[in-house]
Amino acid sequence: MIRPASEEDLAGVVAGAKGPLSIQGGGTRGFADNAEGERLTTSGITGITLYEPGALTLVARAGTPVEEIRERLARDNQRLPFEPMDHRALLGTTGEPTIGGVVAANISGPRRVMVGAARDYALGLRFVDGRGMVIRNGGRVMKNVTGYDLVKLLSGSYGTLGILTEVSLKVLPKVAASATIVLGGLSDDRAVAAMAAALGSPFEVSGAAHDPGTGETLLRLEGFDESVRYRSERLAELLKPFAPSRMESDADVVAKLWAAIRDVTAFAGKEGDVWRLSVKPSDAPDLVGRSGAKQSLYDWGGGLVWLRCDDGTDLRARLAAFAGHATLIRANAQTRRGLGIFQPEPAPLARISAGLRAQFDPRGILNPGMMG
Amino acid sequence: MEMPKPNPEILLKKARIVSRLQEALYDGAVIHDEAETRAYECDALSAYRCPPLCAVLPSSTEEVSAILKICHEEGVPVVPRGSGTSLAGGALPTADAVILGVARLNAVLETDYPNRFIRVQTGRTNLSVTGAVETDGFFYAPDPSSQLACAIAGNIAMNSGGAHCLKYGVTTNNLLGVTMVLMDGTVVEVGGAHMDAGGIDLLGVICGSEGQLGVVTEATLRILPKPEGARPVLIGYDSNEVAGECVSDIIKAGVLPVAIEFMDRPCIEATEAFAHAGYPMCEALLIIEVEGSPAEIDEQLALIKEIARRHNPVELREAQDADEAARIWLGRKSAFGAMGQINDYMCLDGTIPVSALPYVLRRIGEMSREYGLGVGNVFHAGDGNMHPLILYDANKPGDLELCEAFGADILKLCVEVGGCLTGEHGVGIEKRDLMVVQFTPEDLEAQMRVKDVFDPDWLLNPAKVFPLASSATRRAATGVAA
Amino acid sequence: MQTTFTPEQLTDPGIQRANEILRACVHCGFCTATCPTYQVLGDELDSPRGRIYLIKDMLENERVPDAKTVGHIDRCLSCLACMSTCPSGVHYMHLIDHARAYIENHYRRPLTDRALRWVLAKILPYPGRFRLALLGAKMGRPFARLLPDPRLRAMIAMAPKRIPPVNRNDDPQTFAPIAPRKMRVALMTGCAQKALNTDINDATIRLLTRLGCEVVVAEGAGCCGALTHHMGKESESQATAAKNIRAWATEIDGAGLDAIVINTSGCGTTVKDYGHMFRNDPLEADAARVSKIAMDVSEVLSKLDFPAAPAAQEMRVAYHAACSLQHGQKIKTLPKDLLKKAGFTVLEPADPHLCCGSAGTYNLMQPEISGQLKARKVRTLEALTPDVIAAGNIGCMMQIGSGTGVPVVHTVELLDWVTGGPIPPAMGEGGRPKSDIPILR
Repeated sequence: MIRPASEEDLAGVVAGAKGPLSIQGGGTRGFADNAEGERLTTSGITGITLYEPGALTLVARAGTPVEEIRERLARDNQRLPFEPMDHRALLGTTGEPTIGGVVAANISGPRRVMVGAARDYALGLRFVDGRGMVIRNGGRVMKNVTGYDLVKLLSGSYGTLGILTEVSLKVLPKVAASATIVLGGLSDDRAVAAMAAALGSPFEVSGAAHDPGTGETLLRLEGFDESVRYRSERLAELLKPFAPSRMESDADVVAKLWAAIRDVTAFAGKEGDVWRLSVKPSDAPDLVGRSGAKQSLYDWGGGLVWLRCDDGTDLRARLAAFAGHATLIRANAQTRRGLGIFQPEPAPLARISAGLRAQFDPRGILNPGMMG
Repeated sequence: MEMPKPNPEILLKKARIVSRLQEALYDGAVIHDEAETRAYECDALSAYRCPPLCAVLPSSTEEVSAILKICHEEGVPVVPRGSGTSLAGGALPTADAVILGVARLNAVLETDYPNRFIRVQTGRTNLSVTGAVETDGFFYAPDPSSQLACAIAGNIAMNSGGAHCLKYGVTTNNLLGVTMVLMDGTVVEVGGAHMDAGGIDLLGVICGSEGQLGVVTEATLRILPKPEGARPVLIGYDSNEVAGECVSDIIKAGVLPVAIEFMDRPCIEATEAFAHAGYPMCEALLIIEVEGSPAEIDEQLALIKEIARRHNPVELREAQDADEAARIWLGRKSAFGAMGQINDYMCLDGTIPVSALPYVLRRIGEMSREYGLGVGNVFHAGDGNMHPLILYDANKPGDLELCEAFGADILKLCVEVGGCLTGEHGVGIEKRDLMVVQFTPEDLEAQMRVKDVFDPDWLLNPAKVFPLASSATRRAATGVAA
Repeated sequence: MQTTFTPEQLTDPGIQRANEILRACVHCGFCTATCPTYQVLGDELDSPRGRIYLIKDMLENERVPDAKTVGHIDRCLSCLACMSTCPSGVHYMHLIDHARAYIENHYRRPLTDRALRWVLAKILPYPGRFRLALLGAKMGRPFARLLPDPRLRAMIAMAPKRIPPVNRNDDPQTFAPIAPRKMRVALMTGCAQKALNTDINDATIRLLTRLGCEVVVAEGAGCCGALTHHMGKESESQATAAKNIRAWATEIDGAGLDAIVINTSGCGTTVKDYGHMFRNDPLEADAARVSKIAMDVSEVLSKLDFPAAPAAQEMRVAYHAACSLQHGQKIKTLPKDLLKKAGFTVLEPADPHLCCGSAGTYNLMQPEISGQLKARKVRTLEALTPDVIAAGNIGCMMQIGSGTGVPVVHTVELLDWVTGGPIPPAMGEGGRPKSDIPILR
């Protein structure tokens, strides 16, 4: 495992690379397993380089553990608003997730439905492209439209356009209180409708999930004490027509509930392939119905669907074309190679993506074959 | 402002190009008369003007595709144009370029409240997107000051922001999908009603690409439920530093206002003379707005006022009703018009780390004395976006150049303190030559490589964003003179 | 914006004013958002900003206007929504009026255009001639399809089905107040209005006298000059305006006037501008005096203590804000406030800032665009399911009335009705009110 200690080091490694590189941060999300090549980790390029709570800005090197960032932010009562998923339980991996991995794979959590994804909080980044050149884009300020937004391009590019060495993030204050309304016994259709009603209300719902396994639909509210109390009452009132509800106001209990949704722990330790669908919320119940999945979990009001299917299921073929895409998160190497972990793009877009990879990585050494 | 010389071959075949475009659309859609092309010679940056070869006004994506195909075949550069409200010269043509105006594509295509999106043709104005959903209790969040007139197409091209972006993000954070036509006429769909990109985030790089990667004809936009209410509070301080500290403390306390606006003394005085909003004559003015139910608003404002008082304000005013709220905002909203009454002005758009505000304001004051040009500052204090308004006289020879030099120095200062050249308006032509202050040649090369993929012939808005010297080889390859 | 007038050019007061206005414009484009022709056509050249640009080029270079430029300027409605929107205070009205006069003096229109405009200028401001023309139009209606020019067809179509007889109340005379006298006002009886709808003046006189006004119809007053002014025929408009100024100045110097009441907002805007129109004329002082006391009828009523209704009515009134009233005179709430005070349920359509397309003679000269705007306006008004549509301008009333089955009345007719006047004829025939309106005293 190549483990550069600095950005300069990494640039040198890439420039002098003789063959493909399979890049990882902490190696906890399994993506690096999908690329052939010499293993390279950025976990050695670590450290928070700037933190200004009053400006809601934090800059850290890519290999910095997410946990270290979380702790540092918590000391000033702030947090990463997009609450990135921890894949370790679901995949059975060990290691330390890095902030670089979070941005490179655009990893978010339940709160994404209200506040946005990881890519919406990346203000700037530095990366090493396939030539070994160090490139900078964006900065450390929120409003920045100077030139093209390569920050968005690199976020969620899984290392295929460049290896992140530093990221600047917008952070937000922690909340004083949180509560969760739990509705019981709704069908998938009704659950999505209830979540749509909640998300369409002015009560700032920061999490909307449904677990068909427990039959529970969860809606989270966060903020100042009085505000949370008021909004919980109003939201419960709004949702009365759907099902009886109970209120969970203990902050720790609420945190645990949502961490479980975030990390899909309901699927942990259970066999089968795991798929992740990004869909139009109202389409979700039908897709789940047709998927033949053994277990499902709805997040983002239905915009994110997790499915646990029989090994080797070609879910994309089963579902045929739909508005959105299906990503293969957990399966054996053969299935992953056969089906491809990412949904193939329509031809014109595939051409553009391939063109971008060729421009940023002319030798094709950065996680080749992973995305197309 | 240097622009590429027009290609004489294109000028010679103007009649053929016009005729081909007329055939593909209809006669009335092509504006080629010398008297008429003049109206398309500039956008809101009226200091730089050049009538285009012609202007075309399509009414559908198919027509846009036909236009681009013809121009691609003929090797003619195309400059897309929304409402022409750009302050960065984004729609400035060269004499051999075709202006492609999307104002006739302004329909609402689909409104979906359960899935919280609206799909529109991009010639539609920003405010009218909210207009289409507000009676149902929704709104479209990014609200640039020009939202009454600016088009979604322009918003996407420039990744526009607005006062609400502190809480709701900018255009790229609210854009779900686009239908875009590439320079060769290919129509692509990127994104849609689902939330994440399925592969590389093409949507993310298209937004903010200033009309250089394709012409976006349709957009899927996130709509949000309207908050129950909003209320502003006005706070006056006798020191910029203290005002900045107050803002910082409010943010650290965990309050997330929906807007934090800052005005300095020259701006306050000019505005008061014009709008008579009843502002105190002080050094720094803050307008902070919070949202929610009446009780929540009270809770947040109580906290804000407590923090504000700790810093000894000279004025602390909370709106008691809608009329008072409107009056608090009246001055800020009339600020640009007010400055315009004094003289011509140039509106800049740099961003700085919020902590650098006092230093930057002091330096701007010093430069103002050195250059002999007055300047007032409006600042989005929550996100660091500055709008220095430099006063000059367009009819006085040499004043424009002086003003631009002053502006360039301010933007360099923004970069120097860790900020950037433009927070909302985009690079256009205005900041093109300053790109080298913020980016290394390798950084610029990486960006240009993206355009190489989408528009290998560099025909779409080729003279913008990148310094002409940086893009020279690429533009020359099409036979477009450097 | 930068302008390039020479010092010689600037010695001309018209050019000097134009330069002032052009320098104020920063080319921001906000005006395009509320311009009806830009909404319909999507062309920068048919927006206020584009027209300002064309006018600037035309005046700076002393060009002979070309057909295209003239076409774009002719397409301007002069609705002045742009003035309400402009953040820089550009006085678009003065600029476009100056440009129209310039075009009239420097551009040779095609014969048919010249003839048409001549006919309109010679007929519309003269009620007697206009009445004859309307009779002719009524008789010619069956043959309208045969007319080649769409504008002539539009004119025939616009003629009302019933032409009111001459109303002697419009003759010069004084009407005594019914309540103790609070004010002495002159009523401008107008020109075209007298031939189209005599109920409006009647209702105005009844209402004002009921509330304590002595109302005088001045000897020698007639057309305010707006129609010809907007065609660029400056000498004709100055002549008719001068007659009014003299007539009202005589009254001011005679028994005195507290206000000149105008119930056609299109005229009100022009009368209020007399001070500017006559700024280099011997009549300057009198013109200024007249402008100073010119008021829309809603302004006068607001000064007169209009009685409040004892209970809310069930009648749904869709209020149409005439451009000349909301943009030209900046009167946006007074008429609505009066109607609410009278107990009506007042509703406003979507896009209230957009013109109905009447715009003086615009619906005759630009039938295609006018038709599109009429359709949009009628759609938004009918969406409110109103019992009646109220407006403060005869042009709007005719335009909207020709596109909907909902009764269209003048605001004063409703206010007259609830204070003791008769039910407005437009509502009495065919349309029945939902409830009996209690009579206010």
